[in-house]
Amino acid sequence: MRFLLDELPFFLELLVSGLLIGMMYALVALGFVLIYKASQAINFAQGEFVMFGGFVVAASMRYHGLSLVLSLALGFGAMVVIGLLMERLVLRPLTGRGVIAIIMATIGLASILKGLLLLIWGPLSVNIPLPIREEPVEIFTLLVKLVAVVGAIISLVFLAGFSFLFLRSRLGIALRAVADNQTVAQLMGIDVRHYFALTWVTAGVVATIGGVMWGNMIGADVHTALIGLKVFPVVILGGLTSVPGAVLGGLIVGAVENLAAGYIDPFVGGGTKDFVPYILMILALMVRPYGFFGEQVIERV
Amino acid sequence: MKGSKWLVTVVASIAGLLAFTLIGAPVADGQSKEPIRFGIMYDQTGPTSVWGVPIVAGARDYTRLVNKKGGINGHPIEWVEHEMGYKVPTAIEGYERFKAAKVVAFWAWGTPIIYALWERATTDKIPATTPGFGRADAADGERYRYVFPMAASYWSQAGAGVKFIMDQWKKEGKTGKPKIAFLYWDNPAGREPFPILEKLQKQEGFQFKSWAVPTPGLEMSAQVQDIVRRYRADWVITHIWSKAPAISIKEFKRLGFPMNRVVSFVWGAAEHDMIAAGWDVAEGYYGMQFAGVGADYPVHREIAQMYKEEGKTPPKEMFEISVGYNRGMLWVGVMIEAARLALDKYGWPLDGAKLQKGFEMIDGVRGLEGVAPQLKITPKDHEGGGYVQIFQTRGGKIVPATDWFHGYRDVVLEAVYATKEGKK
Amino acid sequence: MVNRECGVFFSTYAADMRLFPLPLTRWTMVGIAGLGFVVFPLVASDYFLNIANLVCIAAVGAIGLNLLVGYTGQISVGHGAFIAAGAYAGALVVTRAGLPFWIALPFGGLMAAVVGAFFGIPSLRIKGLYLAIATLAAQFIIEWLIIHIEWISGGAESTVTVPKAAIGPWVLDTLLEQYFLNLIVLSLAIVFAMNLVRSPIGRAFIAIRDRDVAAEVIGVNLFRYKLLAFAVSSFYAGVTGILYALYLGAANYEQFDIATSIDFLAMIIIGGLGSILGSVFGAFFITVLPMALRVAVDGAVTAALFLFPAANISHVVQSMTAVKLILFGGLIIVFLIVEPEGLNKLWRNIKDYFRVWPYSY
Repeated sequence: MRFLLDELPFFLELLVSGLLIGMMYALVALGFVLIYKASQAINFAQGEFVMFGGFVVAASMRYHGLSLVLSLALGFGAMVVIGLLMERLVLRPLTGRGVIAIIMATIGLASILKGLLLLIWGPLSVNIPLPIREEPVEIFTLLVKLVAVVGAIISLVFLAGFSFLFLRSRLGIALRAVADNQTVAQLMGIDVRHYFALTWVTAGVVATIGGVMWGNMIGADVHTALIGLKVFPVVILGGLTSVPGAVLGGLIVGAVENLAAGYIDPFVGGGTKDFVPYILMILALMVRPYGFFGEQVIERV
Repeated sequence: MKGSKWLVTVVASIAGLLAFTLIGAPVADGQSKEPIRFGIMYDQTGPTSVWGVPIVAGARDYTRLVNKKGGINGHPIEWVEHEMGYKVPTAIEGYERFKAAKVVAFWAWGTPIIYALWERATTDKIPATTPGFGRADAADGERYRYVFPMAASYWSQAGAGVKFIMDQWKKEGKTGKPKIAFLYWDNPAGREPFPILEKLQKQEGFQFKSWAVPTPGLEMSAQVQDIVRRYRADWVITHIWSKAPAISIKEFKRLGFPMNRVVSFVWGAAEHDMIAAGWDVAEGYYGMQFAGVGADYPVHREIAQMYKEEGKTPPKEMFEISVGYNRGMLWVGVMIEAARLALDKYGWPLDGAKLQKGFEMIDGVRGLEGVAPQLKITPKDHEGGGYVQIFQTRGGKIVPATDWFHGYRDVVLEAVYATKEGKK
Repeated sequence: MVNRECGVFFSTYAADMRLFPLPLTRWTMVGIAGLGFVVFPLVASDYFLNIANLVCIAAVGAIGLNLLVGYTGQISVGHGAFIAAGAYAGALVVTRAGLPFWIALPFGGLMAAVVGAFFGIPSLRIKGLYLAIATLAAQFIIEWLIIHIEWISGGAESTVTVPKAAIGPWVLDTLLEQYFLNLIVLSLAIVFAMNLVRSPIGRAFIAIRDRDVAAEVIGVNLFRYKLLAFAVSSFYAGVTGILYALYLGAANYEQFDIATSIDFLAMIIIGGLGSILGSVFGAFFITVLPMALRVAVDGAVTAALFLFPAANISHVVQSMTAVKLILFGGLIIVFLIVEPEGLNKLWRNIKDYFRVWPYSY
């Protein structure tokens, strides 16, 4: 009992910081889910989107001395252009091709984005200064990172926004129709391409915000793209087609990661943080093949 | 069919280009004496690109300076350059290029790459240098004749780190033994210091516990929380690289851990890490170096002068990432020094075997005073003493905190030679 | 290559179903084998032998992945991990048990097959992208096991040093000898795969790829064949791993990371899904492309420095290496768009052109 009491604050702190980080993962995962939901395209370059969007903001601030707002606008602009180009030049010609072709194309895009970043700005890491305090805040004796709190709030705002968009607005209805059946949607007079472009643009904008938050936490450079690897267990756990699923998946992955690092690592010699979410993901898939909120696909011959 | 034509063109032109390079060997530019070729393998597109850029820039500038001053006894230095993106197959291709171009020594960039190449290098008698990384037990020159893990291996760095902490502990007049936490990257290179750290723990009796950072090392709040809040470490030794050092600095700062209780191994203490974390955040942070830091050494003035004469400005890496830039100078500097020694003793023509002897005669690096560490390579000790210098981040600069020193050399050497008879 | 079907008639099923039904094709095969085994080794320098070795080794793995992805339709992003599993299993057999390499090759393959089949189990419940990401888990888990189980990794370096392959007293330590070893293994791999895909097993694979529900309805045991596909594919991966270990003299897991898995996927997509020959083309393309790009970039650096003598050479080199990444990504995308069926289709186009040459219609 005594031991448990001693352990409790640490446990809570791990849990809370894990959950907050999880929300930051969700921020990255949202764009991924959005694209998949609308166009069934898998964006393996999601990490690179985050990296590039964040870096444009960072570079505008550091190398060109622009203000945060102006830099953000530039970052959004860059990602909108890239999203549109991606849709128009790469995905449209690949319509109807297998999953792997699209995976490969986005991997190609990832390489291009990395190359562009290195070509224009070089490999140096850049810090994104945000008007958020670096020092931790103590809430009920728990130390909490403010950036992560802000990130979590942004995630929630996006979650609410997208939920509203999908469920209530005319746009959302069209998007859902496109996601459901492209041919029928087209017959109903919905311009499918227009909506695809719109999702890529939105994903680009979300990625930029993710990039800025992560850039503030870990610095912006080519390696920021590795955050993309964390997205997979998040989206699979939540279900590929669900926006709330991405947030839930993020929470689970963040918490499990941190608890594994705190409680499993000491017994097995470290490093479990990275793959425990994957094991959890496989187990969850065995029970629910489409994640927690994913759309069940009924197969017929 | 239209697409196919396009593809045929591309495939054909690639094949043509390939043939072109292999036939069109490097053309001599009218120098009186034959050049000495070095194989310079590096990564500017892969995971270590952040180091690749400044290191190559420094090495290139120093090579040009030496060439401008007449090369090595009149022989100009020529690079066979190979950018390999940290991929092993591409690196092996580079090695075969080096071999075909008859290089006398080469850089084996990165731990997996030296593992893939050391055997070939030994068979072909081409010395490979792995300064600041690579297998620590390769310091045993009698066993790994053609591998030179110069400056300081991870084992020596572990020894130096512990020594520094124990010295500080005494200096501050504290009693008892410090509680040391070790934060390391969870891969072979990251785990390499363990044997030394464990041995020293037994010998010195300090408390010791370790935390792993798995790849990609972007997030370590749980580990740092554990170190600061549960274990309550007195000192932390970190052995992480890529983005992880900056992230660890920020995490320690956020949890209120004093930055002047953190010592980093050599790959976590460059200017770019401080820039990424923020200089003010990193204030007080200690880092080990195996080459001098800053651009105030005599050689920098010479390079600046060289650029001035050419009517150009020196690359920004020289000032902004001097840690990498200076390491690049050191990396190529030891090769040049070895070639100089070999040439003096054995004369032209040089080959890998002669250069290997040249490396084993190195005692300090001429021309790089201040930048190069104390370095004395012998046939038995290919590491050259394992000297490091600890620097501290202070006021937006990385300034020296100690002189060149090595710690627990006896323990490190014992481990180096023990592996010979050991189980492996 | 010049396939003249004209005037060739078969009177038995056996003759019709031969691997190379046309006499001319058989002669072509003999010709290609002659090129590979006799002419190339005679003329090639060490530099080209090394590339040929790397291509042969990669091609074995690419064929394996194509059997799984191209023929059975199960996406795997964990091929690198299976290669690592084979490399370590083979290396341990050679170093611990002191067995010769020709036992280590099938043994490592079998071990990788077991591991692969294990990670293939989720394929029974999930498919498509979900499966792809589940196989990604294999990468993380196997890497972790290799690093953390000392019995496998042999200490902190996680590297097992492997002696060169030897047949009795004959040590295969030159690039030429290793080339013959790799080429023979590759030939066996090609022949086995070609026969496998036209056997009942191969037809079951293809049925699963085209529609697994339909395949089940007509009596294909999904459980057995999906796992079999994973096992066969991983067997190939394992053999690739040991060939790498023998070639490099060490098994080191860092050589087989996610990037490796992605490279192999790129090989089969660029080579052509569902094509054995395409896998070999793809392995060649993806292995040689970075080298070719490097050559091109080196040329561009020289040209740039000639045109702009005032530029700082370090910065020119740095920019050009970044261009290499852009070109690599761009080429892959353009390739996917322009030639959906990969290099194999290109090859078929050439073949088709010459089929009726010079009397084209």
